[in-house]
Amino acid sequence: MLSKVKSFALAGLEGVPVEVETDINNGLPAYELVGLPDAAVKESRERVRSALKNSGRKFPTQKITVNLAPADLKKEGAHFDLAIAVGILKATEQLPGVDCSGYVFLGELALDGALRAVQGILPLLISAKAAGYVRFILPQANAREAAYIEGIEVFAAPNLSAVVEHLNGAAPLSPLPLSRYAAARPEEYRADLAFVKGQATAKRALEIAVCGGHNLLLVGPPGAGKTMLARCIPTIMPDMTFEESLEVTKIHSVAGILGEAGIVTMRPFRSPHHTATTVSMCGGGTRAVKPGEISLAHNGVLFLDEMPEYHRSTLEALRQPLEDGVITVTRSSGAVTFPANFVLCASMNPCPCGNYGSADRICTCTPAAIQKYRARISGPLLDRIDIQVEVDSVRYDDLVSTQEEEGSAAVKARVERTRAIQRERFAACPGVYSNARMSEREMQRFCRLSGECEQILRLSFERLHLSARARARIIKVARTIADLEQSEQILPSHILEAVSYRQYDNS
Amino acid sequence: MPYSKQEKAEIWLDSFGLDYAKKIRLYSLCETPYGLVSRLAQEERAVKNQIGETAFAAMARSLEDARCLEKLLGSYEEKRIVCVTFSSERYPEALKQIPNPPTVLYCRGDVSLLRTRKFAVVGSRRMQPAMLECTRRFAREIAAHFTIVTGTADGGDTAAATGALEGGKVIAVLAYGLDHVYPACNRNLLRAIEERGLLVSEHLPFERPRAYYFPVRNRIIAGLSEGVLVTGGGEKSGTRITADCAYSYGRDVFAFPYGVGVPSGAGCNAILKEYAKLTDNLVDIFDAFGINLTATDPVELTSAESAVYRILQEGTVHVSEIAQRSGLKPHELPAVLTMLEMKGLAVSCGGNRYAAVR
Repeated sequence: MLSKVKSFALAGLEGVPVEVETDINNGLPAYELVGLPDAAVKESRERVRSALKNSGRKFPTQKITVNLAPADLKKEGAHFDLAIAVGILKATEQLPGVDCSGYVFLGELALDGALRAVQGILPLLISAKAAGYVRFILPQANAREAAYIEGIEVFAAPNLSAVVEHLNGAAPLSPLPLSRYAAARPEEYRADLAFVKGQATAKRALEIAVCGGHNLLLVGPPGAGKTMLARCIPTIMPDMTFEESLEVTKIHSVAGILGEAGIVTMRPFRSPHHTATTVSMCGGGTRAVKPGEISLAHNGVLFLDEMPEYHRSTLEALRQPLEDGVITVTRSSGAVTFPANFVLCASMNPCPCGNYGSADRICTCTPAAIQKYRARISGPLLDRIDIQVEVDSVRYDDLVSTQEEEGSAAVKARVERTRAIQRERFAACPGVYSNARMSEREMQRFCRLSGECEQILRLSFERLHLSARARARIIKVARTIADLEQSEQILPSHILEAVSYRQYDNS
Repeated sequence: MPYSKQEKAEIWLDSFGLDYAKKIRLYSLCETPYGLVSRLAQEERAVKNQIGETAFAAMARSLEDARCLEKLLGSYEEKRIVCVTFSSERYPEALKQIPNPPTVLYCRGDVSLLRTRKFAVVGSRRMQPAMLECTRRFAREIAAHFTIVTGTADGGDTAAATGALEGGKVIAVLAYGLDHVYPACNRNLLRAIEERGLLVSEHLPFERPRAYYFPVRNRIIAGLSEGVLVTGGGEKSGTRITADCAYSYGRDVFAFPYGVGVPSGAGCNAILKEYAKLTDNLVDIFDAFGINLTATDPVELTSAESAVYRILQEGTVHVSEIAQRSGLKPHELPAVLTMLEMKGLAVSCGGNRYAAVR
C-alpha cells in the first residue's frame, strides 16, 4: 500500500517542501530509498527500523520503497527520519483511519524511538508557513525555537510513540504556546563601556562607527584593550527588532549553533581566529553550503583581531560583502545567498614590535618594517574601513581610577537618536539605512559642503597626504558626526574630526 | 660633453674595481693618469708591485681590445651615467680639499648641481616623528639657498630629501653602484631625485650595497658640503661619522638638541658638547652664512588652537592630557589637532600623542 507524508528540505536558508512517498510490496525484504539522499538520509533505514521496533511497532518484512520528491533535489540531514517512520506506519496500516496530510514532519530518530533536535528548524518553518503549511510535528528539543512563529500550530513530541498517539487521538498533544520576543537585556552582555577606563578617543570612535554603520580599525599595542572595546560594540548598538532577530536566528539555526534559548536576542559578536580559511569566513562546504563567519555576524559585529595576520585572500574576500551586505556562495550544486550585513571591527598593532608611539617603551622597528607590516592590509580593504583610531596602552592609574565612566546605556541612547535621524533621512532611499551605505547620489543630496568645508578638505589632502579615495569616506563620517551633534549642516569641525580618523591610509 | 683624454684614462683606470689604497698607489707612479695608461707596458713591474698580478692582467687584456674604452663609455651612456673625474672641471672644488677624495664620481641627474652651493642635512633611521617633521621642514627651507646633500636611508635622510625636493634641489650620495636601489622602499624617492636632482656614487655601477661602504660614503657627504646639519642619531649612528668628517674638514656642523635619555638623539648631544652648533632655529644656520631669513607669514590660530599649541610645545603630549589641560572636551580635540597638523605646527607621534613642530 502507498502512503504520502510531508516534510521539508533545506537549501541554503530556504526550505523546500518534500513529499515522502512510501510503498510496501510483497517480495524479498528490502529497503530502497531514492530521491538523491545523502549518507545521513540513507542511514535512516537502521534508525527507523530500531525506533519502530523499540516503540512497540512493526517494521515490515516486505519490500519497502521510499521516494523523496522532488527527485532532483539533493536531500541532506537526518530530519527525514520521522516522516519516513510515519510513512511506513501508514503504509503498513498501523495508523488506521489517520489523516496525516495536514502535517509536516521534521525530526531525527534515536534507536529507542526518541526524537532528536534537528538544525535549521526556524528557516524551514518560515518557508513552510509562506508555502501555506500550518501544522507541524517536531522534536521537543526544537520547541523553543519554533514557538516564535505566529500563525502556525506546532506540536512538539518527545518520541515516536507520542507522535503516533497524537495522530490516532489516543493522547493528543497541545499546540505550543506562542513565545513573545524580547531583546536581550543589557545585563546579558558581558561587556559594558563603563568597565573601560580612559580611552576617550577610542570610545568616541566606537560611538561614531555604530551611529553611522561605519567599519572600524583599532590600532594599539598588545594588551591595550582592543578586544574589550570591540566587545562593547554590540552593547551600544540598538536592540534587535524581531525581524532582525529572526534573520540572525535563521542563519545560526542552519549553522547548528543556536543555543538553548531558541532565538538570538543578543547582537552577534563573531571573532574568528586569524587562521580562518576563506570558506569558513564566507560560507561554503563540501556538501550543504553553510553560512560563514561573516553571515553569522549578520546584524552584529565581525571582529578580526590582529588583522594583518589573516590570510590575504581571506581578507580580500571580505571586500564584496562589505559593499553589498550579502554574500553569494556559488558551488557546482548551485548558488546560495546569505545575508552578511555587519559592522567590521579590526584590530592591529602599530608596528611589528607593538611599541610604536608608546610613551615608555622603545620601538625597535625600522620605518621599512613598519611600512611592510601595515601594507599587509591592502589599500582597497583599508578604503572600506571608515574610521581608524589608536588605542592607548593601559596605564595602571587608569585601571584603579574610581572616576565614573559613561556606561553603554547612555551611549546607546545617543546612538538610537542618531539612527532615527538617518532613518528619517533615508526613508525614500530603498536599500540605504545608514550614512555608511550612502551612494554617490545620496551623498550629493545629503552631504552638501560649504565653501569653508570644501577648502579644509582640500587642504587636508594636500598637507596630510591622504589618498584621494578617502574623500567620500571622510564626508560620510563627517555626516555621522554632524548627526550625532544634531547639526543639520556639516561643519568644518566635523570634517576635521573625520579627517583625524584616517591616519593610517596616508602615504 | 665629451670626455678629454685625461678623463677617459681616469675612467678606464677606475673601471677595474681596485680598492681605494691601490688606486692611489697606482696614480702615484706617474704624473698624470693618461701618462700612466700610455706607459703601462713599460712600467709593468712597478704596476704589478702596486696592484697585483691579476689586476694587471685584466688591464693588459683590456688594452688588447682596441674598442675597450668605447664599450665602457657606451655602457655608461646607456645607463645615463656621467663620470666626473678628479681632473674634470666639473669636480667640486670643496671635495678636492679632503684627504681622500673619490677618484671618479658616477652621477645620474643634473650634474651642474655639483658646482652649486651645497649643504648637508643628515639623520638616522630611527627618529621620532616630530624630529622627522622638523628635518623635513629645515631641509625645505635650507633648499631655498643651498643644494641639499644627504644619503638615501629611510628615516632622517628620506625626510631631508623629501623636504629638499619640496623646496629646491637635492644631491643624494649613494653607498653602492647606480644599478641598484637601496633601500627598496625608497625606489620612488630615488627616481624623483634622479629626475629633479642628482644621484652620486664613487662605486662602479654594479657594486652592491655593503655595510662598510656606508661610513666611507659619509666623507663624501661631508666633503661636498659647506655645512652639515645633523638632525638625529644615536650613540653609534653613522651621522656621527659625517659630522666628525665635516668638522675635520673645517666645515660648519650644526645639530638639533635632544632631551635627557632620548636614545635617538644621544649622538647629536655628543657632538654638540664637542664642536657642533646647537640649532633649533633656521636663523642659527643662516647667520653662519650671512643669509638673511625672510620673515614668514605668522600663522593665524584660533584661541583653542593656540592653547593646544602652547601645551604641545612642552614636548610629546597625550590627547587625554591635552584635553585635561586645555579644558576642551575629548570630542572637540581631534578637530583642533587636525587643524594644527594641517597648518604644519603639530605632528602625530602615534599612540594618540602629539608634539609641536616648530
